Amino acid sequence: MTGAMDAYSRIVCQWCGNQSANPAQCGFCGAPLDVKNMVTESGWREAPRLRDMTQIQFDQSTCQVEGEVVPVVEIALAPGNEVYFEHHVMLWKQDAVPVRLMPTQGPKRSFFNLPHLITAATGPGRIAFSRDASGEIVVLPLHPGMELDVREHAFLLASSRITYSYVRIKGLANILHGGNGMWLDRFVTTDAPGLLVLHGYGNVFERTLAAGESIQVEPGAMLFKDASVTLETEKIKLSSGLLGGTSMYLAKLTGPGRIGIQSMYHHHAGGE
Amino acid sequence: MSYVCPFCSTASAGDATSCPGCGAPVDITRKPSASGWIELPRAADMARIQCGRSSLQIEGTLVPVADFTLAEGDSVYFAHHELLWKESRVHLERMGLRGAWKRMLAGLPVHMLTATGPGRIAFSRDAPGELLAIPLQHGAAVEVREHVFMLATSSVTYDYFSPPIWYRTREGDETETHFPLGYLMDRFTATGGPGMLMVHAHGNAFVRNLAPGESVLIKAAALLYKDVSVGMNLHFEYAQRKGFVSWLTSAWNLQRYLWLRLTGPGRVAMQSAYGHHHDPERAVIDSTPATERYW
Repeated sequence: MTGAMDAYSRIVCQWCGNQSANPAQCGFCGAPLDVKNMVTESGWREAPRLRDMTQIQFDQSTCQVEGEVVPVVEIALAPGNEVYFEHHVMLWKQDAVPVRLMPTQGPKRSFFNLPHLITAATGPGRIAFSRDASGEIVVLPLHPGMELDVREHAFLLASSRITYSYVRIKGLANILHGGNGMWLDRFVTTDAPGLLVLHGYGNVFERTLAAGESIQVEPGAMLFKDASVTLETEKIKLSSGLLGGTSMYLAKLTGPGRIGIQSMYHHHAGGE
Repeated sequence: MSYVCPFCSTASAGDATSCPGCGAPVDITRKPSASGWIELPRAADMARIQCGRSSLQIEGTLVPVADFTLAEGDSVYFAHHELLWKESRVHLERMGLRGAWKRMLAGLPVHMLTATGPGRIAFSRDAPGELLAIPLQHGAAVEVREHVFMLATSSVTYDYFSPPIWYRTREGDETETHFPLGYLMDRFTATGGPGMLMVHAHGNAFVRNLAPGESVLIKAAALLYKDVSVGMNLHFEYAQRKGFVSWLTSAWNLQRYLWLRLTGPGRVAMQSAYGHHHDPERAVIDSTPATERYW
């Protein structure tokens, strides 16, 4: 087959936007391409449920998603390739895979219940990860020049081409009632693409907000957002009754950009 | 109207992929177990349910979401912790409930919220399981175990009562009252016309119709809902003991099994995942009417 014919037969993945020649699954995020694109009437796209044993290529390494209830991500690291992760999500690894610690301004993080240190594993060898809750693996291939914010404790692993940092959620209302904690993990790609893998509790949905478009979300449900999406906590006043004046807090996300939510979350009971 | 849903009895043309009343797929075979329980078919991903002028869509399969499109003036009520997301234009209002103190003691929300359309609003519960839409014809009522209810349309009236299911044990001077079914039970009645009730089942859900006088024993925490006509009482069952084990255990009523007996006529539904009720297995000194059996 010629290169030109290859280009015609490629399919655009509705989830990550990459083009794949394989009609069965996206080569970048593993999403099945031969199933219906699930978009709700209200505009949310359901994250593609990855098939058991789906394989994804990144750098010279491969990533395989195994299981469906509490899925496992198994990485076959090529020599010199590296992934980093929070140490408690590591499920098993081969003896020969070396691990090292990455500096993260630790004391400040541990004060806010984030892992003090991030661990990195370097190939060659195999290493596997899982979070101890039922849910979905969300594979997000990041193109060069992208910035993505992820709620704390949702990130499973990232390839070393992605720069990791974290940003403080500003505003007292966000801190006291936001339910997202005080920090968001920020993943940035500069000149090379990378692979970011998250664990979403329950089912995961995403949508793209237009500039100025906003939506109110239960704070515990926010999973990820483009850095261009603003997050603020909004107080919803409930109409007065005998105990009038009660209120609840929701996270208001305003576009432009992509946002992701999860259907299982720990309800944040702040502010009532 | 050539198709009648075997799960909720809603009549429809049957030309859609799912029942417009409860979202059950129309193209599957009914799956009764050998013992008579019918497995409620999981609503297909993106199943659409019509609810008067409003509609909802069930999204996801692991921890499903109920995504409502509320028509102008239509409203639903729910416990506030079920809310997942909403459009700004959906108006929320607090709905007061009688007996706040009693509800607080029972660990139930002391108030609920009402969401009024137009607009979109979505709900989910943070546990893997199934969402069950129960269409209620005008005047129909169901009784639902506490902490199972997710939302109901405004034509359905909400009330609660203390179920006659408790027993009392004593050890020394200490007396303790146990409520295997919970302290309170919810009752929903379609008083303002036909309506819809939605409950969340942990794990899988099963339903069966009990004939008059027919009874079945289930774990109390597994009950999801039942028709008002279905009677219930406690049942104590004691395993057979012989020899030394019998001598050792007889004084403390060990190996006691606690059941909820449901007696027809009517429909009952249960869930496959449920919290364990701790029975201290001390001597029962008082209880609501109960049956017992020694093997």
